[in-house]
Order: sequence, then C-alpha cells, then structure tokens
Amino acid sequence: MMKQYFDDMVAGIARKIEDDPESRSPRKIYALEVARLGSRLYSGDGGVAWCGVTAPFDLLNAMGVTSCFVEFIGAMLAATGMADAYIDEAAHAGYAGDTCTYHRGVIGAMRMGLMPEPDFLIATSVPCTGGMAVMETIARHFKKDLFVLNVPQRETDESVKYLADQIRAMVTFVEDHTGRSLDQEKLQQAIDHTNEARALCEEAYFLARAVPSPADGRVLGNFGVVMALLLGTKAGVEVARTYRDRFKQMVDSGQGGIADEKLRLLWIQNRIQFKNPLIDILENSFGASVVCEELNDITWDPIDPAAPFESMARRAISIPFNGDVNRRIAHLQKLAREYRIDGAINPCNWGCRQGTGARGLIAEGLKEIGVPVLNLEVDCIDSRNFALGQMQTRLEAFTEMLSG
Amino acid sequence: MTENDRPRIGFACAYTPLALIHAAGFMPYRILPTGDWPDQAGQMLHDNLCPHVKRILDRAMADDLPDLAGMVFVNSCDAMRRMMDAWKKIRPQDRTLMIDLPATAEPLSVSFLAGEFRRLAEVLSQWAGYDISADRIKNSMEQYDLLVSRLRDLHHMHQRGMLSGGSGRMQALYNAAATQPVETMVADLDRLISELTAAQSMDAAVPVFMFGNILPDSAAFELIESCGARVAGDDFCTGARLFDACETPAAIKKEAEDVSHDLARHVLTRPPCARTFDPAAPLRIAGDVVDRALACGAKGVIGHTVKFCDPYLARVPVVREALTAAGLPFLMLEGDCTLRSMEQQRTRIEAFIEMLG
Repeated sequence: MMKQYFDDMVAGIARKIEDDPESRSPRKIYALEVARLGSRLYSGDGGVAWCGVTAPFDLLNAMGVTSCFVEFIGAMLAATGMADAYIDEAAHAGYAGDTCTYHRGVIGAMRMGLMPEPDFLIATSVPCTGGMAVMETIARHFKKDLFVLNVPQRETDESVKYLADQIRAMVTFVEDHTGRSLDQEKLQQAIDHTNEARALCEEAYFLARAVPSPADGRVLGNFGVVMALLLGTKAGVEVARTYRDRFKQMVDSGQGGIADEKLRLLWIQNRIQFKNPLIDILENSFGASVVCEELNDITWDPIDPAAPFESMARRAISIPFNGDVNRRIAHLQKLAREYRIDGAINPCNWGCRQGTGARGLIAEGLKEIGVPVLNLEVDCIDSRNFALGQMQTRLEAFTEMLSG
Repeated sequence: MTENDRPRIGFACAYTPLALIHAAGFMPYRILPTGDWPDQAGQMLHDNLCPHVKRILDRAMADDLPDLAGMVFVNSCDAMRRMMDAWKKIRPQDRTLMIDLPATAEPLSVSFLAGEFRRLAEVLSQWAGYDISADRIKNSMEQYDLLVSRLRDLHHMHQRGMLSGGSGRMQALYNAAATQPVETMVADLDRLISELTAAQSMDAAVPVFMFGNILPDSAAFELIESCGARVAGDDFCTGARLFDACETPAAIKKEAEDVSHDLARHVLTRPPCARTFDPAAPLRIAGDVVDRALACGAKGVIGHTVKFCDPYLARVPVVREALTAAGLPFLMLEGDCTLRSMEQQRTRIEAFIEMLG
C-alpha cells in the first residue's frame, strides 16, 4: 500500500514537472525526493535502517543504506490523514496517551505491519529519551540488531572523540550487516555532496531573511530536519540548489513569499503534520508569514574530509535541541534577530518533553529580546485533538497584539 | 567538621555517584518530591512534564530546602535536563553541574562516563577547596558499602516480618538514608537491627512485587499493604536501586587505580532502570521484572510510574506482555508524587489484591 502511494507520488510529481517545466518549484523537488526515499523504504529490497534523528545519514547513504528517522513515519501518517487507526492501535496495546504521538503512530504502524522491516537500527540519544525507547521497541519487535549512538550534551574535545569513536564503531556494525566495506571514494563523494548542500542551504536561509521574505509558511516546512536525510546525495544538492535559485530570483525581483507581508513569524520546533488551515489563516487574514523554522539553520561546520567522523560528531552535538535550554534560547534569539521576527509560535506538541517541556523558559527568553511567543496546545500528529475555533481565536488575538 | 556539619549537595537521580560527593566533604542530600507546596513550576515547564521534576521545583520555589552548597544533576532523561534548566532560573545563586549519562554500557560509554565522574570530582574539589584524594574516595565508598549492607540486612529482616511498619517503614529508612549523613545513618541502622528480633507471621498477606521509578512516600506502601498485600520485593529509583548503585565494585576494592572507570562500569552495568539498556537485549527490563517477581515469590506485580515518564511508559506494554506470558497478574498505576493520586486508585489496588488472593 505505502510503496504504491510513494510510487504514485513520485510518478505524479515527475509527470507534472515534465509536462510543465515552469512548475518545477523547490517544494516539488523536495517532495519528489522525499517520495523517492519513501519508495525505497517500502521497496522490500532490504538495506533499510531505522534511525534516530541525529544519525549521520550522509555516511549511511555512502554505505548504500536506505536510512530514515522513525518519526518520518508518524509525520507521514498524519500528512496522509491515516494516523488515527495507528495511534489507536498503539493505545489498544497499552501505550499511554500522554506520550509522543509521532512515536505512538510508529508503534501502531509497526504492530499493524505498515512499518518496513529494517535490516538493523541505529538509535540516537538526542533529541529525546522517548525516541530511544521506540527504537528499542522496534528492535525487539523485528528481532533486529540495534546500535546506539550516545550523543553528548556538550561539545568538548572528549565528547567529540567519544561520539566520533562511536560513529567509527557504527561503520563496523553497518559493514558487518551489509557485508560491504565503507568505500573511501564513496565517502569522499558523500562529504562533497553534504558540504555543497550545506553551502546552498546556508545561502537559501540567508536569502529567506530578506524583507519581504521569499519564503511563505509552507515552502520550508519541515525542511531542515528532513534535509538531513538527503545529505551526502546528489539529490540533496539538487533540492538545496533549487531553493537557493528560486529564493535568489525572488529576492532579486523583490517578490515576497506572500503577497503583502505584514508580520514575520518564527515557528518553534514541530510543524503540525496533518492538514490544517492555520498557515492559510495567518497569511490570508493577517498578512503574517512564517518565514523561519527553528531547525532551518546550519549549526555546524563543513565536514572535514580529513576528520569526517569528528565533523559528523560535532554536527550531531550542535543541533539546537541538544544541551541546556539556554543554548536553545540563544539560537532562537539569533534566528529572531536575523529574520527580523515579530512573533513566534510554539505548537507545544503534546507528549514532547524534550521540546515542549521548557516552553515557559523559551517564551521568557524570546520575550527578553522583544519577541512575544504564542504557545498553542496541539498534538502535531493526532488531528482529533485539534480545536480549530480555539486556535483561530488565539491566532487572531496574537496577530492583533503584534500589529498593535 | 562532624558529619552533621557537612554542607549538603542536592541530587535527584539514582545514578548520582554519592561516594564521590561524600569524598569531597559534602553530604549528598536527595531532594525528594514529598510534601505539599503550591504548584508553581508550571510557569516554566509544560503541564505534561514529569511530576517528580515539577514537585522538586515547586519545593525549591517554595524555598523548602535546606542550605545547599551545590546541586548535581544527571542527564538521565529529558525531564531531568529541563529540571536543571528551570533550577538555574529559580536559584541562580546555586552552583550546579550536570553529569552526562550514556544509555548503554559498551566500553566507549564506560570511558566517557568515567571522564564525567572525573569532571565531577574536579568540580567538587573546587567547590570544597581541596583535592579529593583516592584515599578519601575509598573511605567514602567503604562508608556507603556499610550503608548498603545495613539496608540489605534490614530488607531481608523486613521480608521475614521482623520490621514493624512493613514496607512503609522500609521506605522511610531509604528516604532517611538518602537525606541523612551516611555515618549517622549506619549507626542508626545498626541500633535498629540489634533491636529487631521476633518475626511476625505474614501468611495472610498476598506477596506482590513492585517496580517503577519514583515512589518515595512511605504512606503509599502502607496503602498497598493495607489492602492485604505484602511487598515481597521492589525496584524503585527512590528505593533499593539508589543504594545498589552505591555498592563498591569488587574491582575497585582490589586495586583502586582508576576508581572513576570502575565506578562508571558499575553504574552502567548494574540492573538498570528503564532509561539505560542493553542494545543486544532490547527491552530486557521486561524479563528482569518477571525474574525478580518470581524470585521473591510474588503472586502479582504492581507497577508504578509518575505520569509523563517516557522511559517507563514506553516500555510498560512489553513488561505487561512478559508478565502475562509468565502467568503473573499485573496492575499498572500512575501517580503524581502525591498520596492523593494513590488514594484515588485504592479501589483498583484492593480489587487486584483480592483477585490474587
């Protein structure tokens, strides 16, 4: 079922682009590559690894492994309107309703046979403890080997060495499971692709800061977190280049992502993954555009070909969700200043201790630089908990306050 | 300086290396989430965050803490990280340190944790104003070995019906051991042990095994036992698990050349709580619960976690499956570190014990 879904999606987007090359938008190219990844995951051809969010996907791509973080499945189920049955299945199996619905969706999908069987798993201790638990559960369910990358909280010489050594051990683990050695030429190629995509993303993000921003509320949705899956590949470079080129063209011509940008918003952490009209309401009713998302930023240096594992370790440690909340707040403040943000929206995904847990501290931190935060109470995966009327009223009040 | 005069270092996680804190001249003081304070932590942290963390913060915000010379946190879960974030906000004057705790025990992680313990020792030395010598560490470990030994003795005596007050009293002793000077505590326990003699018949009570994370309120155990159960074995962060971690590994006793390394290996390889696991045996915790329940002759198992605890909530369904397969009835309770939340579940507990009987 899912293989067919992704194949149809790939064919549909490719056909549209072929029929009308002018329609070749960054979001389409991005969606095409995500669909291709989905198709590979569900191909049944093997070579699949379920991973944590901060796994080195470029290294895994270089080793010929189709790898993806498990939360992708939860988001995909929500985006396609299919999540309810899988969340319910997890509930019937005893998984508490207070836990993250991304993960409960994954557990439900696993139990109902919708989760492709992996060859092995690579868990990461960042961003969250819930993610580690779900990886352990999947490993037990499929009776597959599990490798754990413990990502330290602080960046020090010792912690980088610790994680880099773990990545080296991971390479051996993958080699043992695939029967293929890491090809140094392929690794070099992957590093080149990663660094090229990184530079292009950096440019695209820089361009997105323009006033008006070439970004609207959708074009960069989930981009930073999903882009990690495409690192180390030509496709990733292509996606990044398409964004950079389109944004440059728009900025050069003074074209904004929305018609009349009045307010510039920062979206904190999770997008709401199921179809909902919040972005439309913000843009159409209030001229408010989400021009920046917390994870749409480059927080790491280019991968050093002479010390790739150390570079990858630094990259994993650098993500804003790692470490103490002051680090995260400093990053949000930086984004708010760079993008000239008027206000921020934090959906406060129910069940997310890591992200939502510190919402009061985050709101206070942004308030210190004059950026008000609207905390919503949303489950980003389960649409049944979505109270549109209430959201609309709160958005209205928030944007009115920002406009005042 | 007497033991009672030692400045206190606060802690809140069973992975905290108490002997290192003691060796630096401090008294480890567990900040327990027991008491009644206004709910204020919600201003900073989301409603869906661990009540253990929020109750401790409520306690700090209500200024219901003894003087602390510092606070040692452990990165055991998302909620613990958020606790340190909030702590620094509400008590900016406190010296704080976070130990980064790996989730697995392979050699690289043991070495990393050893480095974290060395960092802790260095920081504690700065706080104390003098270096912590290997002899001091060894001496502190011996003190904690004595404490662990006494608590085990008492637990065995309690299981033979010699400790009046039952599991509630045993929990009160664990709480005292986590908050009192170790030397004083050992002396008190010695005295108590010497006074215990006659065993009481426990035939009428139904033996159950309890496991989970935070259950420090002795009244909660009394409640369980008032329903006709006898807690024949238990495994909680606020109970024996904290003190099992304090036992000196044999390797250290033999030759204490790299204490931090051996201590780290011990901490990571002892029977884990849900946040630490063996990738080679995913969800081994389920089998461990079954084994321990069978070993203590339990007729059923009661799990108790504080709400919103991801490490436990995510693993409980598999624990339930394993218990079902072993023919052990299972009752799962969730609480919020108040006795009120336990009392609300009294009917369920009574029905469960009746069913076992």
